[in-house]
Amino acid sequence: MKLRRLALVLLTLTLVVASFGTAAAQDRKIATVIFTQELDSLNPMYTTMSFAAITRDFYLYGAWHFDEELNPVPVLVTEIPSMDNGGISADGKTITLKLRDDIKWSDGEPITSADFVFTYEMVTSAANTPLSRYPYTPDVIASVEAPDPTTVVINFVEPFAPWLTRIFRWVLPEHVLRPVFESEGTLDNAAWNRAPTVSSGPFVFQEWETGSHILFVRNENFFGEKAKLDGVFVRFVPDDAAQTAALMAGDGDIAYFLAPSDVVQVEATGKVKVQWVPSGYNEGWFFNMGPDGHPALKDVNVRHALAMAVPRERINEDLLLGYFYIPASYWEGSPYQSPNIAPDPYDPAAAAAMLDEAGWVDSNGDGTRDKDGVELVLRYLTPPRQVRMDTQVVVQQAFAEIGVGLILDNPSYDIFWNSYGSGGPIATGQYDIGQWSSSPDGYPDPDSETFLCSEIPSPEKPEGNNWNYYCNEELDALFLQQSRTTDYDARVAIWHQITEILARDLPWMGMWTDPDNYPVSTRMQNVAVNGVTPFWNAYAWDIAG
Amino acid sequence: MGRYIIRRLLQAIPQLLIISVILFVLMQASGDPVATLGGRTPPRSEDKERLRREWGLDQPIMVQYVYWLVGNDWVMVDSDGDGVSDRYGQRRGVLRGDFGNSLVTRQPAMDVVVERIPNTLTLMITAEVLIIVFSLFIGVYSALRQYSVMDNVLTAVSFITFSMPIFWIALGLMYIFAVRFKAWGLPHLPTVGMYDPIEGKTLSQVVWHLILPAMSIALIDIARYSRYIRSNMLEVINSDYIRTARAKGLRERAVLFVHAFKNAALPLVTIIGMDLPFLLAGAVVTERIFAWPGMGRLFLDHLTRTDFPVLMALLMLISVAVVVFQLLTDLVYTWLDPRIRYA
Repeated sequence: MKLRRLALVLLTLTLVVASFGTAAAQDRKIATVIFTQELDSLNPMYTTMSFAAITRDFYLYGAWHFDEELNPVPVLVTEIPSMDNGGISADGKTITLKLRDDIKWSDGEPITSADFVFTYEMVTSAANTPLSRYPYTPDVIASVEAPDPTTVVINFVEPFAPWLTRIFRWVLPEHVLRPVFESEGTLDNAAWNRAPTVSSGPFVFQEWETGSHILFVRNENFFGEKAKLDGVFVRFVPDDAAQTAALMAGDGDIAYFLAPSDVVQVEATGKVKVQWVPSGYNEGWFFNMGPDGHPALKDVNVRHALAMAVPRERINEDLLLGYFYIPASYWEGSPYQSPNIAPDPYDPAAAAAMLDEAGWVDSNGDGTRDKDGVELVLRYLTPPRQVRMDTQVVVQQAFAEIGVGLILDNPSYDIFWNSYGSGGPIATGQYDIGQWSSSPDGYPDPDSETFLCSEIPSPEKPEGNNWNYYCNEELDALFLQQSRTTDYDARVAIWHQITEILARDLPWMGMWTDPDNYPVSTRMQNVAVNGVTPFWNAYAWDIAG
Repeated sequence: MGRYIIRRLLQAIPQLLIISVILFVLMQASGDPVATLGGRTPPRSEDKERLRREWGLDQPIMVQYVYWLVGNDWVMVDSDGDGVSDRYGQRRGVLRGDFGNSLVTRQPAMDVVVERIPNTLTLMITAEVLIIVFSLFIGVYSALRQYSVMDNVLTAVSFITFSMPIFWIALGLMYIFAVRFKAWGLPHLPTVGMYDPIEGKTLSQVVWHLILPAMSIALIDIARYSRYIRSNMLEVINSDYIRTARAKGLRERAVLFVHAFKNAALPLVTIIGMDLPFLLAGAVVTERIFAWPGMGRLFLDHLTRTDFPVLMALLMLISVAVVVFQLLTDLVYTWLDPRIRYA
């Protein structure tokens, strides 16, 4: 009797609690996007996060965005500037943007050239502390002018080739933020940064529950095609396994970045399809050629020999389930990569012969090659991600077969990326082989400073980004030349030379391409992501049924 | 008693200062907030140098600590990096209530922390109530029926749940009650979050989303608490004064709950007292897995960005809570056990 009563109580409780989750009718069409990291700011001045950049397509438009094929599509401008349409001056130093005359903020105020000038002023103002001022710094841009409400003139110090991916990717509302700047003396603490009151995109910010979610609703005043969805709800789920579970349970419509093994799992439900898009990221090895690196790595033939001893095809097939391939350069998959280069083939016998020829032989019979009393034992560092650690073990075994020793190390991310001043092992060159995934800064433009001699870290330049201490003055000259070449074909030709030199010198060796992936629920329609502005067509998203 | 409380509070001041120094040094060693700035358009080296200067990270660690503690509005700082001090600093320091601004969100650090307290308390108090209620029931029941079948079953279950890692329990519950139940067409629980924003932050929504995270936390600690209660109860019910109480002819219920239980509960007060301040700290793993926007999650999120101001504000808040709750525990102890006096 008692048991029956207890069962009845439990059943009632279950039904009551279950009704909580299903009581309210969900008439509105709202898509749920899951991110594993919470955004830091909705003002692009104060964030460099990928997740924040992705979210921007909902509420803050720039002069143009990129379509599925990464072609620039005019948004706030009438056309993409070119020499043919007069948007780029003959000397390449002036770019003129012609704005549409029907563009407006969500409160009905027109978007004008004054907003562009204001954006430039805010990024460069000493009263603000944006995370990045590039490329609006005085060494790149001399001035930004607004001769009339629909014309923006950008005067560069020198021709600036990467302008398409660097300038005015977002524009701030002057009529809202100038009063804030004038009253507070800075935008650093503006409430707008976390609760933007106006939008130039298809959705408008509605609420941000810290640690939980951000909700955007349709911008009824949007100057473009009105969004089909009533809203987008960005939920923060920091745990990868929980993200996968949420997708499998149908608690999310779109997510960003799953591990290959999770891709298999979510696609097996039949309710999720994963879209893969190149985003410029490539996983690779950085050989330390600096004073604290192993002396063998200063020999280019040794670097190539090591590359030929890594079973990269097998790693891609077995550890990464065949989703990726071996990149030939830092700019794999872009037109800037020379068609004449290819990754070194896997050939351990040839690798051993090359090491013999370079003088690295096992003279003391301990199983490891040596030269002049120095053993060929390399410190192989990578952050503690499982697939990287598995890769280390595979490579360690492969290298042992040709007499090369490896010391494996997996410093935590914060230690790994610690700065030069704080003694970070990568920044200070306390490694021989470093593995991580990196993106050519400014993708799909190849603009990058990674291999510049001037970026080698030192006490005078502690923030330098050239962590493999590679220096080639011929290459430096080509990097400078390409950055000032606004003619596309001429620039591509320079880049082919650059990628050929890097393939020859091999300071960096590709392990696998690292495209972005976006799991998308099968109930979502018209989602067509790309690797630069993935939610560029969020206005067209719809939910079936 | 008043003098005792004042003395304990005065003792807490140097204690907290020492804690703050240790935490500050540990936080500095945990990473570099500038180095963690990544993304698709990471700051260039010139920007990193500027940020390091603007955030005061270019100063020696002891100078940074002094500025954190007492502010820097009394010293001239170099704001533009030209090597010349050109204006007074703008920070007032912790002693004047300024924990600085978050390096991530730019909001006042203490505001970032305080915003999460209600969410964490919702989860942790619910879990703590579940833990106390269930563990009392199980512990007392097991003690009164020592070595019975039920006692052995409860003991076995306790050891199993106590041995399981929290992430395993949390993901297991999520997979069964959210993912599989939904796939089977049964009433199911939500996977993540504190409420469904489409439905709104209603009581029913929060309760609905609370079930899995609260149960995950409770399952482990019910096992721990119930074992304490069982052993204390066993010790007390076999003592002389309980036998005397029974000999006096008191009813069994009065013997157990008036005489035995109050004494058996004393060690429990210590455990609960020790746990209470950590209710504020939240549950790092559980909050992360269930995307519960509490303090544990805040700590992890800001640790990965090495956001010193927020981490220090959070840890100092917990340190103060530990000191206060230790004092409260001692006071409750003297109330429960008249043999203990203020020394």
